[in-house]
Amino acid sequence: MARDYDHLFKLLIIGDSGVGKSSLLLRFADNTFSGSYITTIGVDFKIRTVNIDGQRIKLQIWDTAGQERFRTITSTYYRGTHGVIVVYDVTNGESFANVKRWLLEIEQNCDVVNKVLVGNKNDCPDRKVVLTEDAERFARTLNIILFETSAKDNLNVEEMFLCVTRLVLKSKCEMMMRQNDTDNDTVNLRKRQDSRGKKKCC
Amino acid sequence: MMPIFALQRSYKYMMYATKQPSLRIKQADLKCKNGCGYYGNPDWGGYCSKCYRGTMEKDRHHRKSHSDQSRSPVAGFSKFEEKKRQQTDKKSKYLNFAPVFRKTSAAKDVGRPERHHESRHINPEMQKLELEYMSYIHLGKQVRDDFFKFVKFFNVNIRNEVSSRPIEEVAAAAQKYYNFFANRINTHEIYSKAEQDVKDHLIDFFEKFSMTLLYGILFCPHATNDEEKDLAIQRRIRQLSWVNAHHLDCCISETSMEVRDLVYAAITHLLGMDSVKAPQEKLSYVVRCCQSVVEVLQHCQGGPVSADEFLPALIFVVLKANPARLKSNILYVTRFCNDTRLMQGEGGYYFTNLCCAVSFIENLTAESLNMSEEEFQGYMSGTITSVSAWESALVACEGMHQLCEHLSQLKGLSERMDDVQDATQSLRESMEAFKKEINTKVVEIRESTPLIIKPRKVPISLDKQDSNTTNLPSPIAPTVIATNPVSEHLEPVTIPITIDAVTDETDHDQGSVRHFYAQNLAAQELNLTDSKKGKLQLDITTPCMPIDTLKQSQSIELHGYDTQSLDGFITPDDGSLLGLSNINYDIDLSDLSADNSAADELTPEKRKSPNFIVDPFSPLNAPCNISQSPLIPSTAADLASSSNTDLKSDGFVLPFKIEESNLLDTQESSSPVNLPSPIKPHAPHYSGFSTQGVQIPSIPCNTGDYNSLNLLQQNENNQASSSSVVDGKKEENKSNEKVVKVLGGVLDTFDKLF
Repeated sequence: MARDYDHLFKLLIIGDSGVGKSSLLLRFADNTFSGSYITTIGVDFKIRTVNIDGQRIKLQIWDTAGQERFRTITSTYYRGTHGVIVVYDVTNGESFANVKRWLLEIEQNCDVVNKVLVGNKNDCPDRKVVLTEDAERFARTLNIILFETSAKDNLNVEEMFLCVTRLVLKSKCEMMMRQNDTDNDTVNLRKRQDSRGKKKCC
Repeated sequence: MMPIFALQRSYKYMMYATKQPSLRIKQADLKCKNGCGYYGNPDWGGYCSKCYRGTMEKDRHHRKSHSDQSRSPVAGFSKFEEKKRQQTDKKSKYLNFAPVFRKTSAAKDVGRPERHHESRHINPEMQKLELEYMSYIHLGKQVRDDFFKFVKFFNVNIRNEVSSRPIEEVAAAAQKYYNFFANRINTHEIYSKAEQDVKDHLIDFFEKFSMTLLYGILFCPHATNDEEKDLAIQRRIRQLSWVNAHHLDCCISETSMEVRDLVYAAITHLLGMDSVKAPQEKLSYVVRCCQSVVEVLQHCQGGPVSADEFLPALIFVVLKANPARLKSNILYVTRFCNDTRLMQGEGGYYFTNLCCAVSFIENLTAESLNMSEEEFQGYMSGTITSVSAWESALVACEGMHQLCEHLSQLKGLSERMDDVQDATQSLRESMEAFKKEINTKVVEIRESTPLIIKPRKVPISLDKQDSNTTNLPSPIAPTVIATNPVSEHLEPVTIPITIDAVTDETDHDQGSVRHFYAQNLAAQELNLTDSKKGKLQLDITTPCMPIDTLKQSQSIELHGYDTQSLDGFITPDDGSLLGLSNINYDIDLSDLSADNSAADELTPEKRKSPNFIVDPFSPLNAPCNISQSPLIPSTAADLASSSNTDLKSDGFVLPFKIEESNLLDTQESSSPVNLPSPIKPHAPHYSGFSTQGVQIPSIPCNTGDYNSLNLLQQNENNQASSSSVVDGKKEENKSNEKVVKVLGGVLDTFDKLF
């Protein structure tokens, strides 16, 4: 394939409004911070190609509206998502408390998806409310990797996105391996579909 | 690929099946109508998929047996007949541009081949599409044949399925064909020559081609309640027309002209979605609409736009646009747009946002607008009416809109007016405070300044004294001494000169003093200049003094000869003539300095006198006289310089006077008297001559003095002249005394010689 990438992953950024989702995205995609830069196109949809283990991976990152009133409708975004980045604000305890709800949202909308927990705005120790230990403990119980980032100071942003990409790549490779093992089944499935023998269950 | 694909499909079904109705539905409502225990779906008439298929099957049998023209409604759709009517009404209203091959429900039951034929004949869009394919003609005939073969195959199959299967299954089949075609293009040897991007374009074109052909039967199919949903959402948006940007917490300024234009552009694009047929074209309109919304936000908030702001803005645009057949369009795109496209890329993202916006509008409550239930109900029932710029612009007349704009502008102006008034008040207060502060400070400074200035003055005066003690006072003292004898010496002529000199000196002193006042800090420099002056004084004085004394001595000698020669040759009057000539010379000097004519008059007299005087100064006088006669200005210069040398005769005063003259020359370079200044260096050399005439008077004075003092008893030759001078002179000069002492010695030697 003569494409400019080997894999295309869709990542989703969720979290309360104002935790800095867009800033993280902007920092990763353009390496800029919104404070001093005006983009010509909206930051809500960004693409960046990264190279991991010699494989070119095109990351397509979808920003979401975090307001409470949009909570019920954002499920549409989860379709076809490979990885989800759950963001909270380390200077806002409420945003951390809401992480549970966001994770529940993911559970409801996605079957298998790679997640990371991100505590953003980790650039002002005086204003930090969510302790690293607490967040670490919480992440460990859910078996999620925690990152404390700062889009403003460009701390850990790149690492975090690359980590998600690795996770997604790993799970995709595993899935392809499994698919190869059960290759015969897929052939059968197709034949059945073609012969209109498809049975569908709700 | 297959399992993933299936998974994606199931997601899609879940979303558009379960998410469409209000979220406030109870769990029991979601169950299958048959009571089989599975969950039902409104798209399937409230049945689960299995029961729905069963009823569909039954329905088909029922319809066949009855051979009815109209398809019997799916069980559960109670308002089917009503909907039907609405549909036809609406179609006649909206679809003037409807596809040519759009069929009535009656045409649907006509045999398949016929239908196919019907869709193929005289179709401008088909022709257009076939023309569009020409861009891929370079791929060869094989590709072309294969492409159209597959298009035909797709077309026939989908048409078959539409009549017998629910739309969702048809959509699934369409997706399957898309995938199949994509695989074929990517793997088949016919397409191996094509580039990857050409292949991608071809896949897209396949979708576009097929969907344009099938638009009539796939868009808003009769078997579904899409039409009803369209009407419902339209009614809903109309009810929510009172919702403005403020309610949605988005920062769209409703009165800005530019913003309004951009919002209009976004609305136009959103409405344009209904005017195209292929799903990807509809998608491109959605993208354009959303990009306009992003522009609006960038314009309003001046920065990058995040989803937190974008979604409310899009909701606002959807509410204001109220596009026709919105739901049908969304469902059509969801069903028949290539899934891979819909899942990724900008198109997918913005379409997802649009779905979210529509979903939000459908489920909009008081809570989601951050207002009380009563207020919400008030707005919904129309008891509360708000006049917003947008509402008036889009619903009411232009005048109303302008009124709103003007009102908002006036509000802004009044706010600004208040700001200005506040600012002026504060400025006035600050100015008064400043004035007070200044006044108090002035008073303080007035109290404190005399104390500050005094100590300042003291060090200055001390410095001046210091500098003066080294340089200035010493010369001043002798001038006072010198002036007296000079003034006494030649009363009629020299007095003004000396006065001038004195005044000049004093002026100079004052000036220098002022200089010291002005430049306290530059005292060192001044000292340096002073020292220079001192050097100059020394330089000038040292050579001058002996010369003068020599001259004087010489002149005295001269007089000795002159008197003798005069006495011997002509008359004793000549001796008196000398005295007279002395006086004349003095007068002439003053005149000469101003006029050349006087100098001309002088020259013959001078010639005369040197002719007599040749003897003693023969080596010096003879050439100079010759040179003087043709060069009148030079004589004037000599005379002018002689006036300086005349002053030189005063001894101590000389240096300062020379300096002054120099200063004056440099200052008054324009005056004719100053012309000789470059010749000045010669002056000391020539001074011997010119001063002779000038000094001649002094000599008789000296002789007079000398005679009166010492030589009255000794000299007999000089008695006549001495007597005449004695008449003129009454007082003694200290400087002359010195000269007299020297002369006395010289005369003694003369006497001895005689």
